[in-house]
Amino acid sequence: MIDVFRIIFLRDLKVSLRRWSDVFISLIFFILVCLIFPLTAGDDQILLLKIIGPVMLISALLATLLSMQSLFKPDVSNGSLEQLVISSNSLAYVVCIKIFCFWLVTVLPLLFVSGFIAASYYVDQQSILIVILTLLVSTPTFVNIAALAAALTVGVRHSGALMALIIIPLTLPAMIFGSKAIEYSILGFDPTAPLYFLIGMMIFTSTLGPFVTAAAIRISID
Amino acid sequence: MNLRKIYKLGSPPYFFKLAILLEPWFLGCALLLISIGMYGGLFIAPPDYQMGDAYRIIYFHVPSAYLSMMAYVAMAMGSVVGLVWRSNVAFSFANSCAPVGASFTFLALITGMLWGKPMWGSAWVWDARLTSELILLFLYLAYILLYLSIPDRSKADRSASLFAIVGLVNIPIIHYSVVWWNTLHQASTLSRLAKPAIASEMLWPLMIMILGFSLFFFGIIMRRTAAEIMNREKKTRWIGSIFSEENDNV
Repeated sequence: MIDVFRIIFLRDLKVSLRRWSDVFISLIFFILVCLIFPLTAGDDQILLLKIIGPVMLISALLATLLSMQSLFKPDVSNGSLEQLVISSNSLAYVVCIKIFCFWLVTVLPLLFVSGFIAASYYVDQQSILIVILTLLVSTPTFVNIAALAAALTVGVRHSGALMALIIIPLTLPAMIFGSKAIEYSILGFDPTAPLYFLIGMMIFTSTLGPFVTAAAIRISID
Repeated sequence: MNLRKIYKLGSPPYFFKLAILLEPWFLGCALLLISIGMYGGLFIAPPDYQMGDAYRIIYFHVPSAYLSMMAYVAMAMGSVVGLVWRSNVAFSFANSCAPVGASFTFLALITGMLWGKPMWGSAWVWDARLTSELILLFLYLAYILLYLSIPDRSKADRSASLFAIVGLVNIPIIHYSVVWWNTLHQASTLSRLAKPAIASEMLWPLMIMILGFSLFFFGIIMRRTAAEIMNREKKTRWIGSIFSEENDNV
């Protein structure tokens, strides 16, 4: 179990660090989408404080979507995913490791940057922590659902828009409650209730998600 | 014995013949019930003391909203059966539910807009239930597009079915969204069946309309499933024999 974790985790880490430009692109994409809003909507503090929650979550979702297309596709084309499917290890476990590694490499940098972006939106210090915390508990949901979409569309040539169509309805509850959490914190209310919901969603998707994703991979590959 | 009958449903020739047999009955009863319900709803039911006659669109709005969700549940159930037993009939069933369900969702949204314009003053409000219905439409579209974009039919069947099951998570959210974010949309009229918040002269045409719409839905589904089975099995012998029999009779 531990060995499987170590081998697959290190392999995925190595592969994604060698393709570091992909990781970098999604980070730059996240920053750019976040910065378009103040540049186009104007430097109005009240407005920016109002839209920061949705902007953060939408940018994180889009960045996840963009980089998620390369989670399974290269492995399918070079045949390594097939080897993982026919190996004796549980495919759900393998998928879980891959998703965790993806989250660590691609999404975690977004969290570091999100604090600075929130500061540029005039968010106060207390709420910046809530923004980061919200992203911390909502991005695993995004990643798990996006992984399912990626697994379903492995065989589709231009899967980007189709993946978006699959992901956005399914992540909507997390988006709503994530925006609520940030909004509450900025307005001075207690954001724990939406945060609890997000944590619940996170646990739900990251425990059941890998099984469904594994089933989707089995379907797409055979 | 009963179990064997259920297993028999999985055989394409048997289901095909059953569907062809049932379809006129479903559609005939649906036509009857919808005419009764329309008459009851448009002529017998009294006008609402607040909304006047405008409320009568409820006789289309509620049945289509109800069916938009029921079609999804039917689709997901067909998907489960298809995935578990690898049944082509169940996949055909699930597959034929999707466009019909999407149409009912669209109808529910359109009638809701037509109703909302005079009542709330605007055709669209970002109310939880409206939004969920819209999301349901997108789920249907995602299902259909996912199915269409995977070239291999067996893979497309199974991938889309998996998605349908995952999307079923959305149905409770639609249902409980009224409770979660209780907003502008009036609370569900039919949830308190024991003591309905609606006059009985208004209620019975509505129930009949719902029943009629459901039968209409199943009639359409029977026809679509039969067509889908025919399309999938066009190279087999039994489908050829059915048509040669018909030709002989003519």
